[in-house]
Amino acid sequence: MLRQISRLVDPLKGRNLSLTSSCVESKLLRTSQFSTNASESNAVEDVDTKKTLNKAMRTYLERAREHDEFMKTQRREFEIGKRHLANMMGENPDTFTQEDIDNAIAYLFPSGLYEKKARPMMKPPEEVFPQRKAAEFDETGRPYHFLFYTGRPNFYQILHEAVQHIIELNKFEDAMIRKKLEPDPNLTLELSGSKWIEKEILETNLVETITDKEYSSFINVMDRLASLPYSYRIKDLIMQYRKSLINQSKTFEAIIPQLDENGRQFVSVYECRRKRATASVTVRSPGTGKITINDLGIDYFNGVQQREQASVVWYNIFDRFRGKQQKPRFFYCTEKQRIIMHQRPTHGMGQQRTIGRNNV
Amino acid sequence: MAGINSLFKTKILLKPNTFSAIVQNGMAIFPSYYIEPIYKKEDQEALKKSGEISEYVHMPTKAALNSQTCSVSYDPILSLFTNYLMRKGQKELARNLVERSLEQVKRIQLERYHKCNSDEERAKIELNPKIIFHRAVENGKPLLQLMPVKRGGVKYQVPVPISEYKARFLSMNWLIEAGREKDRTKVRFWTQLARELVDASNNTGKVVRRKQELHKQCEANKAYAHYRWS
Repeated sequence: MLRQISRLVDPLKGRNLSLTSSCVESKLLRTSQFSTNASESNAVEDVDTKKTLNKAMRTYLERAREHDEFMKTQRREFEIGKRHLANMMGENPDTFTQEDIDNAIAYLFPSGLYEKKARPMMKPPEEVFPQRKAAEFDETGRPYHFLFYTGRPNFYQILHEAVQHIIELNKFEDAMIRKKLEPDPNLTLELSGSKWIEKEILETNLVETITDKEYSSFINVMDRLASLPYSYRIKDLIMQYRKSLINQSKTFEAIIPQLDENGRQFVSVYECRRKRATASVTVRSPGTGKITINDLGIDYFNGVQQREQASVVWYNIFDRFRGKQQKPRFFYCTEKQRIIMHQRPTHGMGQQRTIGRNNV
Repeated sequence: MAGINSLFKTKILLKPNTFSAIVQNGMAIFPSYYIEPIYKKEDQEALKKSGEISEYVHMPTKAALNSQTCSVSYDPILSLFTNYLMRKGQKELARNLVERSLEQVKRIQLERYHKCNSDEERAKIELNPKIIFHRAVENGKPLLQLMPVKRGGVKYQVPVPISEYKARFLSMNWLIEAGREKDRTKVRFWTQLARELVDASNNTGKVVRRKQELHKQCEANKAYAHYRWS
């Protein structure tokens, strides 16, 4: 079995039985590309001389060689282009990295196209040309994979393994019930921060195209697997097919309170923007619980809705100080008249102020 | 100009990094997979207690509307009614009208309250105008509606069940129309609306009559009911 899988990964090497470590890696679903290094092209010639070759294998080898040559040409062109570009940019061609190439292309061909894929690019040929599967059958034409005749062996293998895990987990659950044990609630699989990988990503991982229906059955099976009470036992396998929803782009540091001349703490935030309004906010502690907006109280706002919003903001902050001795005091726009209100002519109603959301 | 730029910026910021493609959702600023905000403190507490909050943590959420607050005085049904009442985007006017009608309701009820002779009668009178409003809307909700269906070149008015949302809309819209019926130079809108609210809360008045008329028509067209599916 191991030998078969190793052949699946690299069929030509597999003939010499020189594989050891890659057998373990072959558990990963990503199948290899056509090989491109020189020793293997020699192997191709050796194979070609044999007369016992199956027709399918011969065709495959022919295709492999063509692809190999094509990739070699592309690679050579890319290397030459890279050196040329480095010379143009006045850099050392030997230390010119892919990042430098991207920067150079962005500089030489500035593009305002929204879609990033549509912008000019220069990438190594391995990234540009899609991956292709290695041979799935031996020289006699016999397929390596037991699900070969499904047409999508890698895809169906995932489903097959998932169902096996479901059966195993059910058995385990039965055993636990017999022992009168319950799953640990602390270990329950937390899936809320992630989602199943998209169809396109799954396809590239499998090196197989799948239909929408097949993708939905993948989701169904995986959902079923993840919903089992003991699914945390195969957490790694499940998380392999999930994508995290969190993408941290910024870290926020809380402002350190300063002391004023009376020894009270205060925090000022300037240029708080909401739609067309700008405000500077100062919060003092201990405070009196009063609000000042441009030297006026809550009645600074004419509309009831704005007053309601302003008082709710006040209430929410006040609520956090509930039960504590110190109370916050608020100053809105104390230093300068910073709330800018754009007046807009309205029909028949005189002039109406437009105020942004929570702009206090 | 700065305002336009800032609006533009917010639009760009809305594009989440975690999603590969942005789904256009009509004229809406937020894509369709954004969930409604949970702005009430009680709702948030309830979610925290039940443990459902962990599901909402990573959901992209729409911003709360200008009018939505966690204030105790906020009533989503009343806010909806204000929005139905609003014309040409004059929200402050609409809000003012609603508030004045609720004040008027309070006056009417207080007048009745003080006219009562016994405590039993007084106990029956509801003095909270918001409760009166909710009762009025509830009493005005129809159970069926008529849908025109063309069969053999003739349009039949076919009775069909009504959705909760549509029923509430009809009830509120009838209240508004009833309020507008009188000439406003003689009877102001809020006065008339207050009367209608009180009447409807007692299961009388124009709105309830209108609902009953619709029910009667539905009853009369009962024979066409099968056109809904055949």
